[in-house]
Amino acid sequence: MSNATQLASALAQMVGQANVIQDQDSVKAYAVDGMTPKAVVSPGSVEEISKLLAYANSEKLAVIPRGNGTKMAQGGVPRKLDVVLSMLRINRITEHDVPNLSLSVQAGMTLAAVQEKLAGTGKGSFLPLDPPCSEKATIGGIIATNASGPRRYLYNTARDLLLGIKAVSPNGDIVAFGGKTVKNVSGYDMTKLMIGSWGALGVITEITTKLLPLPEASATLLMSFDDLARAAAMTRRVLHSAMLPSAMELISEGAAARMKEKGKYLVAFSLEGVNEAVERQAAEIAEIGKKEGAAGSRVFRGQEDRAFWLGIRNFALAAQTPVVLKSNFVISKQAEILESYEKHAQAAGIDCAFIGHAGNGILMTYVLGSEVAQPDRLADLIAKFTAEAVQKEGNLVVESCPTELKGKIEVWGQLRTDAMVMRRLKEKMDPAAVLNPGRFVGGI
Amino acid sequence: MEREVLIAELVRLVGRENVLSSAMHYKLYEYDASLIRSKPDCVVLPISTEQVSRVVKFAHDHKIRIIARGAGTNLSGGSVSIQGGIAIVMTKMNQILDLDIENQRVVVEPGVVTLDLKSVLAKHGYLYQPDPASEKVTTIGGNFGENAGGPHCLKYGVTSNHVLGVEVVLSDGQVVQMGGKALDNPGYDLMGVLGASEGTLAIVTKAILRIMPKAEAVKTMLCIYNSIEDGGNTVTAIIEDGIIPATLEMMDNLTIKAVEEAYHVGFPTDAAAILIIEIDGLKDGMERLTERILAICREHNVREIRVAKDQAERDKIWAGRKGAFGAVGRLRPNYLVNDGTVPRTRLPETLAKVVEIGKKYRLPIANVFHAGDGNLHPLILFDERDKDELERVHAAATEIMKVCAQMGGTISGEHGIGLEKLHGMSMIFSPKDIAAMKKVKEAFDPLNLMNPGKVLPEAEKAA
Repeated sequence: MSNATQLASALAQMVGQANVIQDQDSVKAYAVDGMTPKAVVSPGSVEEISKLLAYANSEKLAVIPRGNGTKMAQGGVPRKLDVVLSMLRINRITEHDVPNLSLSVQAGMTLAAVQEKLAGTGKGSFLPLDPPCSEKATIGGIIATNASGPRRYLYNTARDLLLGIKAVSPNGDIVAFGGKTVKNVSGYDMTKLMIGSWGALGVITEITTKLLPLPEASATLLMSFDDLARAAAMTRRVLHSAMLPSAMELISEGAAARMKEKGKYLVAFSLEGVNEAVERQAAEIAEIGKKEGAAGSRVFRGQEDRAFWLGIRNFALAAQTPVVLKSNFVISKQAEILESYEKHAQAAGIDCAFIGHAGNGILMTYVLGSEVAQPDRLADLIAKFTAEAVQKEGNLVVESCPTELKGKIEVWGQLRTDAMVMRRLKEKMDPAAVLNPGRFVGGI
Repeated sequence: MEREVLIAELVRLVGRENVLSSAMHYKLYEYDASLIRSKPDCVVLPISTEQVSRVVKFAHDHKIRIIARGAGTNLSGGSVSIQGGIAIVMTKMNQILDLDIENQRVVVEPGVVTLDLKSVLAKHGYLYQPDPASEKVTTIGGNFGENAGGPHCLKYGVTSNHVLGVEVVLSDGQVVQMGGKALDNPGYDLMGVLGASEGTLAIVTKAILRIMPKAEAVKTMLCIYNSIEDGGNTVTAIIEDGIIPATLEMMDNLTIKAVEEAYHVGFPTDAAAILIIEIDGLKDGMERLTERILAICREHNVREIRVAKDQAERDKIWAGRKGAFGAVGRLRPNYLVNDGTVPRTRLPETLAKVVEIGKKYRLPIANVFHAGDGNLHPLILFDERDKDELERVHAAATEIMKVCAQMGGTISGEHGIGLEKLHGMSMIFSPKDIAAMKKVKEAFDPLNLMNPGKVLPEAEKAA
């Protein structure tokens, strides 16, 4: 028997023939950075995942977990790939405790489906995460990559929301960490360790999270400014005020144009909460805007309000940008970073759009057009961006780029002193390098 | 290593003035706020990261056990040197290094006292949210090591949600940075796993904290009940109605009486329970929200509602709550406090079980709890000189942990596992879960020198 047939029969035995894809043409669709897996497996239970990983561990196979594939262009080029593990059949809500405002849901369910269910149950609640591609993105993918969106300004991120995680360890052990209480210091906080670990320490099978009640009212306030200094002053004023918008975004002209909005720099606020607070903030923030010299100001409600934020979150998707960069830095340097990025991009002759979480010190860069045809010039620009962010106490992560560019850049930014600890942890928890080998920080 | 040699070496590393070596000193550092006692072999109080690193490297090279301590207020034996070794006391590293209002961060040394930091921030109109009841004396390093909570965690999260970066000394003495002033640094959330690790993974020498502008408005309500069950049901009903207050704190009759006797804050001593509800945020809509909450209280048979009219009235209510442990402590020579946590909807039935357990073991139990978090604090009162009573106390504590686990909760919400709750870990974790945690320990501290014997039970006990 050849290796391939051996693998095929072993996998079929674990998950059933119907849940194994092995023919050459079909597996190509699951290639990661041009590397084609030998098989794509869709287990139907946590026990099947456990069997699969135990087998992979003993046979030294490399496994890449996958949801709907919205993040497959991120990360380093894998060192090895044998099996793609599709989580799409592990997709149920296991417990929705309505009065407790908590939810346990499996990794393969999409966030959109979760939100729809939550909104329609009882008085309505939501999971306050708004990452890109939220129509397609699965819970497992979002948590494994710690994806977030504009509303993190008020609601924070997964590390502040999740109460527990269930996972399958690289050796096949089924494990559960945390629980469903909002406070928990029993044992190590493995839940935080799993969030954003890129499935490299274990395959996340289920999460338990806090929920929030649906806000009574919501609106968007969109303001335009003729220069960056004024727009930045505006965000600074609100950041240090008692105002509590749920999102505060700074949008460059190039990005605004793609969203069919006019203005040199836009500042967008999402306002959510009780009626009185939404109305008062809309009025008061607009007033601050006037003093800071806003050129224009509009309020969106209802469908328009929702569509605007969907447009921000799905910007990369709509603009079909193959290269997406995420820079982090100290909050007060938002304008300096944006100004320097615009200058570098212009000097390089590369067309970029920028959207920043202005209250969090995060700037997304979307490389527009066909500049990827010139990888050297682009690599040089990314290096310059990274250096600027590092100088402002942050870093730069490449969220999406073509494989050919990956050899020329650091997709996880500049390595820091803790990289050595990450390597030790990976080697301890996944000694056979089963999960996602080579794709994470420092090539671990 | 002989103690004299050890002391001479440490004096060489950190200076005579930073080493304590008398019998009296060992006694001073033999305990925390639990019942567990054990003396360290030597005590050092380093004054810099460099000194911490030197001591840790020395200990590593000679395979000497070490334990980092702050103010020693922790409640589960986590900071007691049960296997001897060097106690590294961080209280001399107590400087606020960088008050960075512009970036909404503050950089502190681990020995900074939590309330001292808050007082400094208040002058700038800023807040550090976590508020453990012991904040007057606890240190930031200790708060992070235990992942301390507090009343306001219901809305704002616990300590580890507010620690965004740390400088740590690893078990071999290397100094490493994790996280930082900026959010979302790439890689594993190592800092996340350090929170509540009780000094078993690394020693924090600097912490970067998130600070927030003070809320515009706050409203504090004291709701008085003739039945503890009505109070508990009010909590569930408020959350279910879609309101998340900043705090939902409860006390039972025994606690109310003790508090009133000690502080005279005006709590009615005949009440079965009081519930402290606080909401904060923008002033708009707050009156309407208050009315909604009070209507829910009325639906659940509240006897009396007092809304604090000013800061002085608010301070008085909180003085009563934050002084509760101290007040109850006056009733008997000792108390043991559990901090099992259940999903908040299971609170009323859990409380009923706690009362039953008290009766079964003939022990008075005072209850103070973070009701919104489902976080219980049954204070079991006793006299440790009475050996029979002491045995009953431990049996009752174990039974309370079991009840919390059965309710779908956990054995510790904010006080830590330490040594006291080690035997409860198997109530909530499988041997495989614990094995995965052990790998983290081994990656950070392969020689098992950092606070050995805490947090994770030995394999045979877990099995």
